[in-house]
Amino acid sequence: MMDNVNFPFSDLIAGYVTFFDSDNDIFGIQCSDGREFLVALSPITYAKLIQNLGEPYPDATGAMRSMLTPGRYLFTYGIFYPDSPKFEAKQVIFVGRTSQDYIFEKPHWWINQVHSLAEFYLKAQFRDEEIDYRNYRTTLNITGIKPLDNFRQETDTISRLIYGFATAYMMTGEDKFLEAAEKGTTYLREHMRFVDLDEGIAYWYHGIDVQGDREQKLFASEFDDDYDAIPAYEQIYALAGPIQTYRITGDPHILDDAELTVKLFNDFFLDKSEYGGYFSHLDPVTLDPRSDSLGRNRAKKNWNSIGDHAPAYLFNLWLATGKQEYADMLEYTFDTIERRFPDWEHSPFVQERFYEDWSADTTWGWQQNRAVVGHNLKIAWNLIRMYNLKPKDKYAELATRIAEIMPSVGSDQQRGGWYDMVERSLEAGQSHYRYVWHDRKAWWQQEQAILAYFIVAGTLKNQEYLRLARESAAFYNAWFLDIEDGGIYFNVLANGIPYLTSGNERSKGSHSMSLYHSTELCYLAAVYSNLLINKNPMTFYFKPIPGGFPDNILHVYPDILPPGSIRIGECEINGEIYSNYDAEKLIVKLPLDEKEIKVKVKIVPN
Amino acid sequence: MKINNLTIEEVTLIDLAGNVDANTALTIQEKVLPLAQTGRKILMDMTKVPYMSSAGLRVLLLLYRQVSAKDGRIVLVGLSEEIQDTMSVTGFLDFFTTRETIQSGLEALN
Repeated sequence: MMDNVNFPFSDLIAGYVTFFDSDNDIFGIQCSDGREFLVALSPITYAKLIQNLGEPYPDATGAMRSMLTPGRYLFTYGIFYPDSPKFEAKQVIFVGRTSQDYIFEKPHWWINQVHSLAEFYLKAQFRDEEIDYRNYRTTLNITGIKPLDNFRQETDTISRLIYGFATAYMMTGEDKFLEAAEKGTTYLREHMRFVDLDEGIAYWYHGIDVQGDREQKLFASEFDDDYDAIPAYEQIYALAGPIQTYRITGDPHILDDAELTVKLFNDFFLDKSEYGGYFSHLDPVTLDPRSDSLGRNRAKKNWNSIGDHAPAYLFNLWLATGKQEYADMLEYTFDTIERRFPDWEHSPFVQERFYEDWSADTTWGWQQNRAVVGHNLKIAWNLIRMYNLKPKDKYAELATRIAEIMPSVGSDQQRGGWYDMVERSLEAGQSHYRYVWHDRKAWWQQEQAILAYFIVAGTLKNQEYLRLARESAAFYNAWFLDIEDGGIYFNVLANGIPYLTSGNERSKGSHSMSLYHSTELCYLAAVYSNLLINKNPMTFYFKPIPGGFPDNILHVYPDILPPGSIRIGECEINGEIYSNYDAEKLIVKLPLDEKEIKVKVKIVPN
Repeated sequence: MKINNLTIEEVTLIDLAGNVDANTALTIQEKVLPLAQTGRKILMDMTKVPYMSSAGLRVLLLLYRQVSAKDGRIVLVGLSEEIQDTMSVTGFLDFFTTRETIQSGLEALN
């Protein structure tokens, strides 16, 4: 007969203090799902506040007992002993100085974080020398060191890095970040872009290998998932950085690249048959999504090929231009998601992969019949952005249904945080959806939860979703920031401890990691928590090139928030007050100037 | 489109005749890509190619990648002025070795 699990083990509990008994040095903690545990302090229990990047250690050990007031959210790491009902706390992490204070909702929290992140990548890639993308490398180790024997420059990691630098400029106004974004954008255009003169389209190489003055272009994808094809995913993310930069500068070359690439999507990836949607892969020679050469990717559609347009570049392209054609394309992708992805009869998670007739593909590679938790949350987040642009009830209904379901099937209600990949169905006798690879938590999936719950809470005025947003943001800020080396961790264990064995987990520059999700989170968490939730003003910076934006109109809408919820409160150009703007339409009429100008705009909540 | 090839020792001479466009690119891909074996030196004679579309350029890119990945080399010879212009605009000329004649192409390979 097998023994029961009755050995001591360490773990994490996240929750709200229910009482503190100072005579016995114990307190109660209630988890997100309502379970309550007894926690014992000891003479060596130490405490701190959540610590932002670049901050000194915020010790709270001395004040710990006085801070254990009912209703306060905290994390405690400690040990369970099978002979005691009490969890013995070794560490306590508070989320704020007062019981209702969430330190990451201070107006400058995310701005300070984005500054530190951008500094880390600037130093890692270019040291303290001139910014030259010839020296850029996709691979960075955990301390930000480039390898000596790998010369790969992937298009989408450069684009993601550019996104981060552009975002850091918008939030801080520091010129070096914009210089890095603009130089990167030019480098992408000169080295990674293929303009197809016959079709009037542009597409982007997978990357290049550089050695000295020579470079070898890698045309088709070299990733296992997409080998020898042009995946929509890579083309979509090639635009992420340049378009975020376009929002700042209005450089018409970027808009030209965007238009040529959007034409690629609509001429070749779009399924013009009765089924509609966007295919996931093209044959690299014929640009045919139905080519037999594509093997398992032949005539397929997936989450990335339909859902990633909006957050990666299309919302930002609309924000920068206000063009109806981009609003229409956004509406088309969200109508497609709303119609095709829900699969409530079979699973609480959306279906993510399809054959061209939209029948479910449950056989593909690593996905099989499995769900990526973050994709579900990403749908909820972006549906609400779209709802704010065009208020179709079905967008809000699907977003709230996902937001309602996800905590019980995709989150860790004892420790906080969000899981990675789970089976979409339960086997007989199971009550927990099984974790496919592990029960670790990836940084980008936390981002999706934080943004989803902040925007749903702020748009639909729902306190329960605000609680979930705060719990999600608390877990991310408590466990993912690499305070010692800079940047953020890729994965943490379920208990929040960084998972750093090898490969992706020790890399900070790789595919998907490179400064995109972390800065997108800083930007939008700041926008949502400041402008929607806490009603704090925010300042944004722009540097339009002379004659760049059509009609000299700068769009300063920071994201798609509920109509009428924000306005321009103040505008400065080169340090002088400037009044030629439309506060409600969130546009600045730029002066006809041949010199470079710097625009500082304060956005205030209504 | 006519495609002939001749291998002498470690050099394969590929002779293309006709337009390289969307209609012929697939045929070229099927017939030429398998010739990119380990360490192979390829001399592509394009003297009789009057026109090359973007689909043709894409085939060249794939061929170039295959040859490089297998430690081989490729030289293009006899490019028309128009094709040279197209390759220049799209940034291709920078990383392909080109020569005017087969003889000078062989010298470049060796």
